[in-house]
Amino acid sequence: MIPKIEYFSPVNLTELLKLLDRHQQAAKIIAGGTDIIAGFHQGSARFKGIKYLIDLNWIDELKKVELSSDGIVIGSAASFSEILKNELINHHFPLLSTAASRVGSVQIRNRATIGGNFVNNAPCADSVPALLVYDAEIRIRSVEAERAVSLADFLLKPYQTQLRSDEVVTQIRLPFLSENYLGDFYKLGRRRGVAISRITLAVLMKLVESKIDDIRIASGAVTPIGKRFVSLEQFARGKTVSDHLYRELARMLGNEILDATGLRWSSAYKLPVVQQTFYQQLQHIYQTGNLR
Amino acid sequence: MKKTFNLVGKPVIRQDGYSKVTGKARFADDINYPDQLFGVMVRLPIAHARIKKIDFSEIENHPSVITICTAGDISGSNISGIIKQDQPVFCDQKIVTPGDVVAMLVGEDEELLRQLAGKVKYEIEPLPALTDPRKALDSDAVLIHPESKSNLIVHYPLRKGDIERGFSQSDHIVEQTYTTQLIEHGYIEPETVIAIPLAADRSVKIIGSIQNPFTARRIVAQALDLPLTRVRVEQAELGGSFGGKDDTMDILSARAAVAALKTGRPVKIRYRREESVLESYKRHPYILHYKVGFSREGKIKAMKIDILADGGAYASMSPFVTWRSVAQATGPYEVENVCTDVRAVYTNNPYTGAMRGFGSPQPIFAQESIMDEIANQLGKTPDEIRWINCLHSGSITATGQKLEKHDVNLIKVLDTAVQKTNFSRQWQACKDKNKSILPFIQKTHASQADKSLLLESEDLVAPDLLLRKGIGLALSYRGCSLGAEGIDAAAAYLSVQPDGSLYLVSGLAENGQGMRTTFSIIAAETLGLSVEDIHYLELDTGIVPDSGPTVASRSTLMGGGAVKIAAEIVRDRLQKFLCDFWKLNKQDVLCFEKNKVFSESDPQKTLRFSEVCQLAYRKGVCLAAIGWYPGPKVDWDESVGQGAAYFTYVYGCQVAEVTVNLGTGEVYVDRVVAVHDPGKVINLLGAQGQVYGGVTQGAGYGLWEEISSADGFIRELNFDQIFIPTSKDVGEIVPVFVEGDDQHGPWGAKSLGEPTLELTAAAIANAVRNAVGVRFFNLPLNLEEIVLKRKLKPGGLKRGSAV
Ligand SMILES: Cc1cc2nc3c(=O)[nH]c(=O)nc-3n(C[C@H](O)[C@H](O)[C@H](O)COP(=O)(O)OP(=O)(O)OC[C@H]3O[C@@H](n4cnc5c(N)ncnc54)[C@H](O)[C@@H]3O)c2cc1C
Repeated sequence: MIPKIEYFSPVNLTELLKLLDRHQQAAKIIAGGTDIIAGFHQGSARFKGIKYLIDLNWIDELKKVELSSDGIVIGSAASFSEILKNELINHHFPLLSTAASRVGSVQIRNRATIGGNFVNNAPCADSVPALLVYDAEIRIRSVEAERAVSLADFLLKPYQTQLRSDEVVTQIRLPFLSENYLGDFYKLGRRRGVAISRITLAVLMKLVESKIDDIRIASGAVTPIGKRFVSLEQFARGKTVSDHLYRELARMLGNEILDATGLRWSSAYKLPVVQQTFYQQLQHIYQTGNLR
Repeated sequence: MKKTFNLVGKPVIRQDGYSKVTGKARFADDINYPDQLFGVMVRLPIAHARIKKIDFSEIENHPSVITICTAGDISGSNISGIIKQDQPVFCDQKIVTPGDVVAMLVGEDEELLRQLAGKVKYEIEPLPALTDPRKALDSDAVLIHPESKSNLIVHYPLRKGDIERGFSQSDHIVEQTYTTQLIEHGYIEPETVIAIPLAADRSVKIIGSIQNPFTARRIVAQALDLPLTRVRVEQAELGGSFGGKDDTMDILSARAAVAALKTGRPVKIRYRREESVLESYKRHPYILHYKVGFSREGKIKAMKIDILADGGAYASMSPFVTWRSVAQATGPYEVENVCTDVRAVYTNNPYTGAMRGFGSPQPIFAQESIMDEIANQLGKTPDEIRWINCLHSGSITATGQKLEKHDVNLIKVLDTAVQKTNFSRQWQACKDKNKSILPFIQKTHASQADKSLLLESEDLVAPDLLLRKGIGLALSYRGCSLGAEGIDAAAAYLSVQPDGSLYLVSGLAENGQGMRTTFSIIAAETLGLSVEDIHYLELDTGIVPDSGPTVASRSTLMGGGAVKIAAEIVRDRLQKFLCDFWKLNKQDVLCFEKNKVFSESDPQKTLRFSEVCQLAYRKGVCLAAIGWYPGPKVDWDESVGQGAAYFTYVYGCQVAEVTVNLGTGEVYVDRVVAVHDPGKVINLLGAQGQVYGGVTQGAGYGLWEEISSADGFIRELNFDQIFIPTSKDVGEIVPVFVEGDDQHGPWGAKSLGEPTLELTAAAIANAVRNAVGVRFFNLPLNLEEIVLKRKLKPGGLKRGSAV
């Protein structure tokens, strides 16, 4: 049920920050509303006690996607449809485009924003693994200050982040990669459309003469929140690629996920399948030479 | 009868299409009255309990609560039920499933009432919840409805020939158990009804998303203790039903009507998705045990079938659903010796009733799977084994009925499907490729709940080995209309106006199947008009005779038959009138075509249809008629399940081509070729639409959809967890119609709606078997089923995202 709420539509950041500052916990930012509204109807605890909704959609600067000197800057209120259409993102950060293309349906993508996706921080948030392998940094503003934090640090627990009640996420910054990265984003849902992820995997890999110079591996939906597998990445760096190595990495990923997640009702399915799909993905990246 | 048609068999765009896609159609919740109230349900969070006390003291004086309706407000019978009377409108003795309603709060502020509903206090005596239908008949099982002395809702035996002799004559015997799941209809529009009191004579008008207005009328009249005429039910534009807007809507209508008469104001009830899924009935889960004996040549000698259906908390349609199962359980095969037992039992699970397919998708899944297993065992192809056993003209069915007086097109649909898909070659090729079972699948299939979760590096399979193609077919025959379930007749009212336009309405309901367009085509064809000349009226129980329920794929056959008769009555009157007018011979034949009427022998004699009507009207000719189409007699001996179960049958064969990803368990439906004999196609677009929808729905049943419950409580209450297929999930669907002659129905048109759905899951399951080399016995063939050969369910009920 949608509670009785007061709704604000600030047209610039200053106005927004003032409203947040004034109302603190009683206020909630609304971007696309695709998590909040569904959450109201489900009676989610995290959307209880809200008296004010503050809409981001009227603040143009939060919707922009721009080049910066060392990468691109995505406004937190950019919708997945906008991300999908954006040439810059498509060219430099294709795994994010792929992830965006797999979110919900056309209607959902038209409303759902990238900021809403990771601030909500569901285990199955599709943008998160892609953003993590690109080492996304986010900018957060309050009336007093602006801060920058890596996405990996920002995400704390399922449905919990570092965000304070007087703050808004304004930007996502993705630094350019050096050339020669290969990569892939994979999503498994129960259906092909409008599907909550059962497994997501994002992988970036840079090979120098068949040796892994850099590798970044992140997952969603199989761990409590989207995460990078740092020790696995370290293990792989410097090794020569081979079928044997891929098998070994896939085997190890299963162990890491089991360690991170513990046994769940779904483990019997998800663990072998994530191992198999990760193996498949590494083979696929190597064979097709998929750029980034 | 050879006849060329002007409209019949051509593609006609449905009359309600435009208003629906532009949002102009008015559904029940679009209808509002200025002084209307809302009714909000009170439920208790338990699956099984005796009610000791319900205490409204905390809310009854709340200014927003105008009244509270309970069993005490029911002046007639509080116990309803279409077949067996066992379902209270408001529960006052027991709760038997979590969807049960003990009271309804009535007031203006619907949201507030929903909050207040949680403040009702109660004292209950919890009873053990019976959720496993296999334990329902144990001697120590708790009784769901103690007054019926047993949890058995119904038992149908069928005995034909000598089953023991049949098995002793068999060279081989296979014995397998299959299960099918509970599923939700998934109509897009949730239940909505509004009851308007007509103060003058204590009568009530009901408008709602109601599948069967006449049944709703009966249940309301019974609850209010009113004559049928005091309850008038009008059907609003309906947003999907698939069999699902019957019992639930009847009871909701009764609740709304009780409140409307109590308050003297219109009362609306509208469900949210969760409430709809919680309270409405579903498709029966079945446990099906098949034992089949056959010769080394592949001829089936004996079939012993044991079926257990979970009826859930109320009988609802279980007696009819399972009756169709017992009649059709062997599938469309000649079997000399059959011994079938079908039982439906009460449990505390959500109750089950009518859903498109109605007792056929379950046995078809089992019977068609086992046919393929027999083929595999004998080294034959699936089509070969069916050819050997297939029913043909003059065959005797399992119920002892001789198939005659219509084209028994079973072999023809099979042949057509096999040829169109190059079936045997493809099947053999996939089978040869898929001989080796992957170590990965072997390992995951053997895994147990908490062991062998992780793979070793050598278990991983090269990507190119993971995608497997398969092809499978399924074959069925289906008895048309109600059969020995009940009295079978339908009416249509047609009234031609002096300008030649006409009103048409039948006693059957438009539930989205395109019936109004089909009936308009029939009337237009008969009178030589165009579809636009016909204005189809809203169904209202006050203006047309009760024509039984709109179920069993019977609209075109029965209602269409009635429309044709009504149109013929008017045409005959006009013909007689014109013969006099033109001074023709009585034997002279007049042609009704292209909005004109003319004499075949003397083409000078031609008038526009509108002119004829104008003339006839002035001369006092009655231009309105009721067509009445009674079904032929059927007969049935319930003690042995023998008799002419249905007066005619339709035949269908579907071939599914799939790709299975063995690494993830995904099954992609590449293509379904659906060959059906519906008798005669009336509206080609409508018929194709039935196939597209039926196949998609059938694929959902085969692969994704499932409602599970924990202690009787449903886990999947909304579409984030109920996976009905999207347009991305099913590939190409190819409808093919093989028409057959029949003396019944308009120009021999029979049934199509349910046949299109009943085969798909079975065809897909056989295709998966062909692709993987492993038989799966339990629907749905979802990700876990393919990878692990078992289902996985979370322990509790909590939705992750509700944190
Ligand atoms: C039918 C359906 C299908 C879906 N499918 C998918 C899917 O496939 N994959 C997927 O990942 N998700 C899916 N979702 C979930 C949802 O659409 C996404 O998580 C979406 O990105 C949320 O964005 P939003 O703008 O709608 O967030 P909102 O609902 O507006 O907000 C979500 C949360 O983020 C906060 N917030 C939003 N923007 C900011 C900001 N700039 N700064 C600070 N806080 C902010 C809000 O206060 C709120 O707590 C689906 C949802 C639905 C209803």
